[in-house]
Amino acid sequence: MNLLLVGMNHRTAPVEVRERLNIPESRLAAAVSDLVRREGILEGLILSTCNRVEFIVSAAEGLDAEACLRQFLAEYYQRDFRTYANYLYWYHEQEAIKHLFRVTASLDSMLVGEPQILGQMKRAYAIAHESGALGGLLNELVTQAFAVARKVRRETAIGTAAVSVSYAAVELAKKIFGNLTGKTIFVIGAGKMSELAAKHLLHSGASAIFVSNRTYDRAVELAQTFHGTAIRFEQLPDYVGKADIIISSTGAPHFVVQKHQVEKMLAARKNRPMFFIDIAVPRDIDPAVNELDNAFLYDIDDLEQVVDANKKQREREAVYAEEIVQQEVQKMVRRLAARELGPTIVALEQRLDRIREGEMERYRSRLGSLTPEQREALDALTRGIVNKILHGPITELKSGAGRPEHGMLVQLIRKMFGIGE
Amino acid sequence: MQAALLWAALVFYAFGIAMTVPSVIRRRPTLSPSTLAAVGFGLLLHASALALAGAQIRRLPLTDVCSALSFFSFLATLAFFLVYLRYRMAALGLFMLPLVFVLTMISALHPERPLANPAFRGGWLLIHIGSSILGYTAFFLTFVAALMYLFQERELKSRRPRALYYRLPSLEVCDELYSRSLLLGLPFLSLGILTGFVSASRMWKGPWELDPKILASLVTWLIYLVLFSTRLSGAYRGRRSAYLAIFGFVAILATFLGISLWSGQHGYVPELGRLP
Repeated sequence: MNLLLVGMNHRTAPVEVRERLNIPESRLAAAVSDLVRREGILEGLILSTCNRVEFIVSAAEGLDAEACLRQFLAEYYQRDFRTYANYLYWYHEQEAIKHLFRVTASLDSMLVGEPQILGQMKRAYAIAHESGALGGLLNELVTQAFAVARKVRRETAIGTAAVSVSYAAVELAKKIFGNLTGKTIFVIGAGKMSELAAKHLLHSGASAIFVSNRTYDRAVELAQTFHGTAIRFEQLPDYVGKADIIISSTGAPHFVVQKHQVEKMLAARKNRPMFFIDIAVPRDIDPAVNELDNAFLYDIDDLEQVVDANKKQREREAVYAEEIVQQEVQKMVRRLAARELGPTIVALEQRLDRIREGEMERYRSRLGSLTPEQREALDALTRGIVNKILHGPITELKSGAGRPEHGMLVQLIRKMFGIGE
Repeated sequence: MQAALLWAALVFYAFGIAMTVPSVIRRRPTLSPSTLAAVGFGLLLHASALALAGAQIRRLPLTDVCSALSFFSFLATLAFFLVYLRYRMAALGLFMLPLVFVLTMISALHPERPLANPAFRGGWLLIHIGSSILGYTAFFLTFVAALMYLFQERELKSRRPRALYYRLPSLEVCDELYSRSLLLGLPFLSLGILTGFVSASRMWKGPWELDPKILASLVTWLIYLVLFSTRLSGAYRGRRSAYLAIFGFVAILATFLGISLWSGQHGYVPELGRLP
């Protein structure tokens, strides 16, 4: 196996450098075809997103893949290699597999647990596949990377907790109401933030929406974009009780919703819970509302707190995710090594057998004529020597099949005995 | 034989509980398949123990307090399984399994005296006991749901999510489990009380209505009636309702276990009960 991964990401390179090396999707197919046309490059895949550019290749045994790739990069980008060489990382063999798995599982992303990288990797895989740049090894590695990413998402919670204020609001709503289908939203004050939160909530299943604003026309405007109903500001107390989730962001200097009003609303709703999101400064909703049973009030600071707690939660989950990735990398390395084992042993035996036969041939004349028994004895002698020599290496190869350094052992033996690809 | 089966079931329940802990600590959203297998196998063993006991006396194994307890804990574990299959939350195991384990252990520790009391052969009486136990099982679920609701509600009110926030289900799910189990439990308990009155009037003379256990059961039944109607009307919903549900379940435990040992005519323990 001669696997190499080279690239840069948001941590190693600033955006000015990354944007110069970014390969738009329209040119990706041509680039990866170009890559595998190179002498000695058997398979290749290119991943190019706004946060990273990575090249992964499987090369012929014995080829200096790094040099080959350096040359490819210099020629492809038509730019002095040294201007960006410092920003690149190079991963070989097992490290390359680990990096591939980590990236696909979103562990290397700016926001760990983000879902976009999986789709981006799938696009890159599809393009490489269509261009005929994929062979057995990369195909297997990338397919397994997808499986590992799915496993990580399934068995850890890295992708679940919301890390932006508007998504945190949705998540909290779900913690209160279960699922949001059929729930009603009330937007008080038509501002950008409340619009965004409302959009997320509607997207997550909420169905009806009321909008109210001091200027009625603005309320009508916003209500129309959401296919909702506009409510006159003076009629606010009569309609707020009909909603389950209330988002407030008016510029009013006083409280727009009071505790005694909410008490009445709750009674009228048979105490079905109400979730108030107050993103206004100064606050629109009397904080005492949170004291009421079945009413939940979060202001902008509270939402930030939730986001912070969620970020810590993601970091904790990331630790478990790394463990899973590490296990999967080991499994993959062992599997690949075991596959190389069979052919390696055969090649080893064949190599030594050829040496044996070659020497026998060479000394035939010097040995003179031999009786059949003598020839047989000579045959057995040389075979015995070869077998005894091979016994050590072959035992080592077979017994080491479970250990991580086995791959290196196989490479070493192939090198030592001059067994090619 | 059934004692051995019951102890074997306990061992598997213990395994199940032990395996729940890492799931919840590591915030795994669901329980591992091996946990479910352990509890499931324990449930099978438990069922076999009950079936054997029932076969011996040729009726439902409800004729003494230990069998009844065992039957209750079996139903509770079964309920756990069914609810888990529906909602799939690991926290459920942590809340339900330990209590069930303790109850099963109590019943395993005390010897069974299946037909020690001749009164326990009648049909009405068995319906009374069986129905009450079904009601108690449903209210056990109500109790668990109320607990989970209270913890989650406290997290949400505090606005600073900590450990439990991530591991507990939404308030809505807790409330759904809560109201559904309440809806299921009340008819069963009512039937239990009714058939209890019927059996009592057939078996005993004198003011059996004033027996402590019977009075306590009536009070328990009233608590749940109040709980049910206030939840339905929405007058009590959320925290207040949950507190009442917890109080109600404590009342059940007191009625079932405690007063059994003190009651005059209704004593389950034959030596203490003075039955005709």
